Amino acid sequence: MSRLPWLAGIAALAAAPIALAGFHLGLLTEVLILGLFAMSLDLQLGYARMVSFGHAGPYGVGAFAAALLMAKAGWPLPCALAGAVAITAVVAVPVGWLCCRAGGVAFAMLTLAFAQLAYAVAYKWQSLTGGSDGLAGVPRVAGPFGLELFTGRVGYYALTVALVGSALLAARAFVASPMGRALVAVRENEARAEALGFDPRRLRLAAFVLSNALAGLAGALYAGHVLFVSPELLLWTVSGHVLVMVILGGTGTLFGPFLGAAAFLMLEHEVSALTESWALILGFIFIVTVIVMPEGMWGLGARLLRGARRPPAVEPRHAAP
Amino acid sequence: MLAVERLEGGYGTGRVLQGVTFTAPRGAVTAIVGRNGMGKTTTLRAVMGMLPAVTGAVAVGGRAILGLPVHEVARAGVAYVPEGRQIFPKLTVAENLQVGQRVPSRLWPQDRIFALMPNLRERLGNDGRTLSGGEQQMLAIARALVTDPAVLLLDEPSQGLAPLIVQQLAGIVRRLREVDVAVVLVEQNLGLARAVADQMLVMVKGEVVYAASAERFREEEASVRAQWLTP
Repeated sequence: MSRLPWLAGIAALAAAPIALAGFHLGLLTEVLILGLFAMSLDLQLGYARMVSFGHAGPYGVGAFAAALLMAKAGWPLPCALAGAVAITAVVAVPVGWLCCRAGGVAFAMLTLAFAQLAYAVAYKWQSLTGGSDGLAGVPRVAGPFGLELFTGRVGYYALTVALVGSALLAARAFVASPMGRALVAVRENEARAEALGFDPRRLRLAAFVLSNALAGLAGALYAGHVLFVSPELLLWTVSGHVLVMVILGGTGTLFGPFLGAAAFLMLEHEVSALTESWALILGFIFIVTVIVMPEGMWGLGARLLRGARRPPAVEPRHAAP
Repeated sequence: MLAVERLEGGYGTGRVLQGVTFTAPRGAVTAIVGRNGMGKTTTLRAVMGMLPAVTGAVAVGGRAILGLPVHEVARAGVAYVPEGRQIFPKLTVAENLQVGQRVPSRLWPQDRIFALMPNLRERLGNDGRTLSGGEQQMLAIARALVTDPAVLLLDEPSQGLAPLIVQQLAGIVRRLREVDVAVVLVEQNLGLARAVADQMLVMVKGEVVYAASAERFREEEASVRAQWLTP
């Protein structure tokens, strides 16, 4: 594949702090963070067909962990982000172990239950989380060794680009690895994959933990971005929103969810300025997307590009003897 | 070697297998024939660990495998090519082969696979679903071989294939004898079974009622057919 689009994308991201005003740079930062959140769900949904209704859980855990590490423990920003990812991953192991014992609807319901459990804990544990008020004024602690570089608006944007880019590369490496291929095999035909020697439950758990850790990173970045966390981050509506972003962008693509997140935020910011019923319009667009282009925005773009480049048709060979 | 002793079990409360006993030596093809519903496929599924409640004993190279989860049976060296092939239709031929290799194959590098099944080399970048029935069957066997199995279970590989393709398939199965793998072939197509087998087993109502070398089977075929294989 041509490298030109990727180089153009990297150049555009690098030029953004010069070209965009403060508000729009903040919006782009949020798109990247929500894109990462949606991409983390895509690892489960697109590559392992694990439909989670509780992906807000690891997102909120990561956000609260980062906020508490900076606000209460005084950790520098990069250390707090790393700590939040580690905490989310550790929490994901027992949760995933239980959830991955089930499949289909039971898996979806279990993930929803755990996220709602986390919401209830955050809501009730007022002394730690601030309860319904949340934690306001989360500081971006600079720390020693010049780490204050990341505490400003542009510095934080640069840190977000670097971390989201690294997460994207890590996710791509995972899906291209033998383990990622085995996960796709489990998605396609679990009994067959098992007969080839793969343990589907263990593979699903690996995908679950990686996906949750990346969602935790997204939550931690979000906490550092808006400098505020509340139990609302753990609510089931957030899990619904991220599911919409993934399906709008295209499942099983990793890049599509970033488009989905951008479309979602654009609708939220632009259409909500015109009408309070922006969610109605989002719902309509979602329905049209699912019916007309089930492969999502990324899949549609890829299909159109393939069509434009397609060589003359070759006679297909059919699956007949 | 695969050793199966007094295997009993089935689906739910129905006991399909009534004490199946046989051994399948390495470097040889053991064909199991019989009429429909006699427990041939159920025997393979029981060996593979796919039936919930089975009693008896199954060992591969002396290691007991009955009761292990399916993936551990596979890791113990048993590869299963089920009826209907069940390749991964949305993955390419290359990806199907890659998925089969939890660890890189020692015995079956790609060149060796392609020497056995040249068609697959030409179709390497094609999705599994676009292959012909014969190519899908070959891919299913190739995907099993790249796991370096000690035992290869083939369930009705000739099903739905044209006679010419069945001949090719017979050539491939015969060549597997050279590689020290114990092949267990369940077949309705007596012609294919007879053409490739070193040992013939006949199953009736969940039991092995006849076991003989291929030579002896040829001599006794008329009476075996009349007694157990004719509806």
